[in-house]
Amino acid sequence: MSTTSPDDLRSSHLGTSTPSFLSAFFRDARTYRAAGQVLGVALVVLVIARLTNNLYGNLDRLNIPSNFDFIYQPTNFAIAENWGFDTTLPRWRMLLIGLQNTILAAGGGIILATILGTVIGIARLSSNWLVSKLSTFYVETLRNIPPLVVIVFFSIAVFSSGPFPVFREAAELKLPFSDSNWLILSNSRIGFPSFSAERNIGAFWLLFGMTFLFAACMWAWRTLKSAKTGVPHRRLQWSLGIFAALLVLWFFLLNGPYDWSWPSRTENGRRLASGFGASSAYLSVTLAVAMYTASHIAEIVRGAILAIHKGQGEAATALSLSSYQRYRFVILPQAFRRIIPNLINQYLNLTKNTSLAVAVGYAELASLTQTSIGNGAPAPQSIILMMCGYLGLSLIISLIANVVNRSLQLKDR
Amino acid sequence: MLKNKKVIALLCAAFALVLFAAACGSDDNDDASLLEEVQDRDTVRCGVRDALAGFAVLADDGTYSGFDIEFCRVVAAGVLGDASKVEFVPLETADRFTALQSGEVDVLIRNTTWTATRDGQEGANFLFTTLYDGQGFIVSADSRITSLEDLEDANICVAQGTTTELNLTAVFNARGISFNPVVLDSNTSLQEQYEGGQCESYTGDASSLATYKFTSERDGGPAQYVIPEVISKEPLGPVVADGDTAWAQAVNWSVMATVQAWEFGLDSSNVNSYDGNDPNIANFLGAIDPQIEGLSTDFAKNVVSQVGNYKEIYERTLEPLGLPMEGSRNKLWTDGGLLYTPPYR
Repeated sequence: MSTTSPDDLRSSHLGTSTPSFLSAFFRDARTYRAAGQVLGVALVVLVIARLTNNLYGNLDRLNIPSNFDFIYQPTNFAIAENWGFDTTLPRWRMLLIGLQNTILAAGGGIILATILGTVIGIARLSSNWLVSKLSTFYVETLRNIPPLVVIVFFSIAVFSSGPFPVFREAAELKLPFSDSNWLILSNSRIGFPSFSAERNIGAFWLLFGMTFLFAACMWAWRTLKSAKTGVPHRRLQWSLGIFAALLVLWFFLLNGPYDWSWPSRTENGRRLASGFGASSAYLSVTLAVAMYTASHIAEIVRGAILAIHKGQGEAATALSLSSYQRYRFVILPQAFRRIIPNLINQYLNLTKNTSLAVAVGYAELASLTQTSIGNGAPAPQSIILMMCGYLGLSLIISLIANVVNRSLQLKDR
Repeated sequence: MLKNKKVIALLCAAFALVLFAAACGSDDNDDASLLEEVQDRDTVRCGVRDALAGFAVLADDGTYSGFDIEFCRVVAAGVLGDASKVEFVPLETADRFTALQSGEVDVLIRNTTWTATRDGQEGANFLFTTLYDGQGFIVSADSRITSLEDLEDANICVAQGTTTELNLTAVFNARGISFNPVVLDSNTSLQEQYEGGQCESYTGDASSLATYKFTSERDGGPAQYVIPEVISKEPLGPVVADGDTAWAQAVNWSVMATVQAWEFGLDSSNVNSYDGNDPNIANFLGAIDPQIEGLSTDFAKNVVSQVGNYKEIYERTLEPLGLPMEGSRNKLWTDGGLLYTPPYR
């Protein structure tokens, strides 16, 4: 060639000839990275497809249904914690009862574990020798025992062969100067006082909702006013006070929509005639997972408090804040930010641990799924449904906890 | 760092390949009968219970004994010619069909009731019924409960995932008796709850209740009362997975040999020395070869000489535990019982 373009000059200067498109493609590191990804995904999809195919093949070979039609079949077996469940209802309704019982156990467990864990976590830092040693003992024992063992301990050692009498001869704790019981203790059920819906329930809840909205408006008004004028907002006192006062007013105006009922037994002594009964299976599970998780929460709380710089506490003391004020206004608000993310984990663990209730016969999701499989429901599909149930619960808990977490984090202004 | 990533990627790929190979490999011999597999392996894997007095009990020294266990040994004697070639696999009630479907066990002999739903939806193939049973209720003798109606509002202990659970619900609902089920998956836990007084009654197969009553009273427990009313039919017998005729026939004929032997008056003491001239018995002991796949011509002789006939098995395992054959349906058809096998010719 007689003429040389500047481009050619540059490339020859760099010692490479102009690459063709293909060779550039093959010499590009990105090509190989992308190919690796594609290959990886293809392999995973292939394996999953192969396994699924295998499952369906085997189900077909054994003439086991591979669809989800079984959830429309009648349940046909009775459930202990049934909430009035009719056994002729389809299986999906039965699974919902299981989910509801799981939520009840997990919910009760979460509330108890949080309170107990926080108290013990703070107690471990106490300067009182006995208090701090006792809570250390609690944490170190409970944390090192598998939750299943704790559940079985409650079921067998506390309820089954523990101090409680059988229901027929249940211990009835009387109110002073009255024939009513406030508690019925037995090894199969514990009877608590309860509310029973009597009259004007709809109207009461309607008013309840409206009052709640009104209280919320009050809260917003106090917040705005405080921001504008600088007077103390006292929004909690204002809204809560008005809310409570109005509720009491509605309660009396509606002639008492709920009645307080004390626990009592039927004449044959086999069932509670009134009051709320918690089965020993429910109590075993809830108390066990709560106590187990509390030992973990205690450590989280203690860790978060210790992580607050010593100077914060000293500064609070220098301002002559009392011990209570030091925790309430200086240390705990900062510690909470560190506690929340770990707490979410513990809540999730607790929820999943309730599935161990299978061992003591509490009718939650895992237990009912097993019963259902034993009574003709195909296992693979039933397990998939159960997994979806737990996954859904976990996602909801994470969602709620994350929202709380975000609202508590320091905000850049 | 890069090197690490490469190693990890390689490991992942290798793992995936192994999985893939495993997935591919698992259904290569789908068409082969379980019979050949069992004979190649030279052991029968038998799904059993491990703590049901009279039926299957695991002793402290690791040996199993009981009615169901004897029939596992019958299958091994028939198919492999050696009654000792059994591997016992203890299963929970709720897992038993899954174990059978997945091939974890070859045959399930775990007092399992034959029902239409199980035959259909569980992919199970029920064979010769070895015990005709029914569902009963046990209560403590001092509770003064004598009928189902007396169980109004009672806590009733019942095993998870059983026909017992379904019968209980159906019968009590039909009669309008309210009750509260206490559902657990192991017999041991159920008995603990019942003995702890958390259940007023414990329901199960009448045969199991009878052996429970016997052993519990023998060991110094409180007196028990079995409510006379029986609320269901519970035909119990061996189960194999659907879709494998050869294996099912081999198991079935091995089991039926015990009843046929009883009918012929053969037992473990006289079967080897039989020198009579009854052609039917001669056929049974190997004069003809019916060519049932997997069974040698002398399989019946092996079964009877190594394990015994039905009566011997029953008397060895169930009678000592308070379950007499007299008064039950588990007798030969010639004595008015239900044990009736197809003719052996």
